[in-house]
Amino acid sequence: MKALKLFWREDCPRCPAAKQLGDNLKRDGIKVEDYDMDTVDGLAEGAFHSVMAVPTMLLVDAENDRELAEWRGNIPNVDEVRQCYQDIML
Amino acid sequence: MSPNSRLAQRSIHPVTSQGSETTDLALFVRTSSESLITWNRQRIVDALVKETYIDLETAQLISKQVEDQITASHIKTITAPLIRELVDAKLIEHGLEKVRRMHTRLGMPLYDVDQLILNPNRENANVPHGPEATNLTLAEGIKKEYALLNIFSQDVADAHMRGDIHLHDLGFCDRPYCSGQSLEYVKKFGLSLPNSASIAKPAKHPEVLLAHMVKFSATLQGHFAGAIGWDAVNLFFAPYLVGLSDREIKQLAQMMIFEYSQQAVARGGQAIFSDLNIYWEVPKHFENVPAIGPGGEFTGKNYSEYQEEAQKLAWALFEVYLEGDGCGRPFFFPKPLVHITEKFYKTPRHEEFLNFICQVAAEKGNTYFVFDRGDTAKISQCCRLSFKLDERDLLDARTPWKMRYCAMQNITVNLPRLGYLAQGDDAILFSKLSDHMELAALGHLEKRIFIEKLLALGNHGPLAFLTMKPDGESYLRLEKATFLIGMLGLNELVQIHCGEEMHHSPQALKFGLRIISHMKLIAEKLSARHHLRFILEQTPAESTAYRFAKLDLHYYSPKAATVIKGDIARGEVYYTNSTLMNVGAALNPIERVKMEGLFHPIIPAGSISHIWLGESQPSPESLANFVTKVFRHTLNDQIAFSPEFTTCNDCHKTSRGLSNSCSYCGSENVDGITRITGYFTKTSIWNKGKLGELRDRYRTKGFFPAVSETEESVKIA
Repeated sequence: MKALKLFWREDCPRCPAAKQLGDNLKRDGIKVEDYDMDTVDGLAEGAFHSVMAVPTMLLVDAENDRELAEWRGNIPNVDEVRQCYQDIML
Repeated sequence: MSPNSRLAQRSIHPVTSQGSETTDLALFVRTSSESLITWNRQRIVDALVKETYIDLETAQLISKQVEDQITASHIKTITAPLIRELVDAKLIEHGLEKVRRMHTRLGMPLYDVDQLILNPNRENANVPHGPEATNLTLAEGIKKEYALLNIFSQDVADAHMRGDIHLHDLGFCDRPYCSGQSLEYVKKFGLSLPNSASIAKPAKHPEVLLAHMVKFSATLQGHFAGAIGWDAVNLFFAPYLVGLSDREIKQLAQMMIFEYSQQAVARGGQAIFSDLNIYWEVPKHFENVPAIGPGGEFTGKNYSEYQEEAQKLAWALFEVYLEGDGCGRPFFFPKPLVHITEKFYKTPRHEEFLNFICQVAAEKGNTYFVFDRGDTAKISQCCRLSFKLDERDLLDARTPWKMRYCAMQNITVNLPRLGYLAQGDDAILFSKLSDHMELAALGHLEKRIFIEKLLALGNHGPLAFLTMKPDGESYLRLEKATFLIGMLGLNELVQIHCGEEMHHSPQALKFGLRIISHMKLIAEKLSARHHLRFILEQTPAESTAYRFAKLDLHYYSPKAATVIKGDIARGEVYYTNSTLMNVGAALNPIERVKMEGLFHPIIPAGSISHIWLGESQPSPESLANFVTKVFRHTLNDQIAFSPEFTTCNDCHKTSRGLSNSCSYCGSENVDGITRITGYFTKTSIWNKGKLGELRDRYRTKGFFPAVSETEESVKIA
């Protein structure tokens, strides 16, 4: 199973748009996990995936956390993410 | 009304002592000022009134009771310390515990002093055994007691004594911890030290500048507990090297390394824990900075115009490291820290230099690779501590003599202990962790108040050196000071709490990351609350890893015995340092550096990964390739490769690997040499915990392609 991990920060000006994108993808039935990097769980998960900039989106294999696609420090086009989600086979 | 309740009702305000009757005892008192005086009870009263807040009447009562006790014993000679102990015992009988604390005598039992004089100090492998070292240890002993009684509150001191936290360098409680220095200060202002009989103007020649730098380092060693790091040494020397031949530059490099490595004549006979930050390129933040040259004058050029000379010195320094000392052994100090940056990879001949410093790393182990990714700039020192330069610090780069930084104190949290206390409950674990960090913050506040008190004495105080202001600002820039919170035994905490070590599963590793993330966020909250910069650092924990393990074995067995590393039967026990993976885990270096590197971005004050080479000698190219991969594909802050050596005390030859006898002459009078935490030293003076760790270390035999046997034999000979 694939999942999208979205990392954001409250004081990041570009993060609201990334969160909006995450909400759109959720409506498509894609599993999206939100991580606020100013919380313990968000910071730890971000450190695990070497997230150094926000917003960051990672498409991972939910079974083993293997990263399948990444958009670090930028907001991807929603169609690009959808396409990636559909194309990458586990 | 009982005597005790009467005493309890008395106020304990200071009062002036007055004469009082004394018994004419035929008793002599041996005082601590080397005199023999006749008994006078009034001296007890005077001391109590002067040193404590006791009232005169109570002081007189106590002195009378002590006198009666001594009279009844028919003793003919008594020592002042014994009288003090008798007085203290009476104070306890009267319930005057606070007064007793104030009246305490600091010192050591005769047996302990005897042992210290006869046996080496194993708490710090950088302390040799000799009369100066004994002085240092004795002074440290008293200052430790002083700190725990007089600087830190009872809550903090007790937490240290129990082993909940560790207050580092208590024996150096009257000075800050570590420092990062700029050679520009010495170049611009020369050598003018408080208490010095003479003043030297700014150096005109490179040898003189070196002499100033070394003497300044020795002075700094007397004012800081730990390491003295020098920023961009090769670059800042460069204006003095214009026109010098390669041979002359090599000679200067040789002098620099020998001067530092043989400075075992200063504090307690210790070599100066010194770090040289070296750049192959001209760092971005120094490119357009006006260079200071001979005589402390601006040369009219910027540092970007001195790359050639700076590179020559960097190369020469590593030539000397490669040759080793007079017996071919690796130099223990000064440690060379090479900064690997994006610009490094864009600078001509970087491949050649990288291969060369990797050759030194493979053969002698000296090189530290410090990774400054993106716009990061830092000054590194100590075993892993670094000062990351923020925007304001980078503005200081325009006046680089101002770039002097310090960490005020380091306090480490015993993480495995939290695991025993939490008994598997997350909420208790995180709550206790916050509590212990608050205690650490309290300790920092107390240390800061004490240091401020000493600094306030200005020119006439013990820290006069740190208050001098040739550039209009105190040498110690207190507002820039960081307050380090370290962690120890994360691996064992995870093992206790999750049932597996961090390298066993991603879940265990993530739990470890949650702990450190929690620490980081709490440190930020504490910083905001107290307006101090509390920052996480990987504690080197040369002796703390052993101390915490011993204490936890005592208080939390049998559980502790299941996670503590080392050999319990031999007493060689330890916890895994800071956030490192189990040193004995059979991880290949890439896995180790990657996993350990995940923690580094959330530990702002510095981290390192060690790669234990053992007796293997990889090819420089394989290490260079590895270093580049670590820079490009991990977030690891710093790495060092650690080979092992056996040095013979009879034939003075050095061979690869740890062995019980000399491979050249067969003598068993040999010493092992390898890296203990963040520096090389002889293994014979390691503490038991570190010896346990040394036995367990997983060596990376076979991972890196080796140099050919022929090459190896030529290099060792």
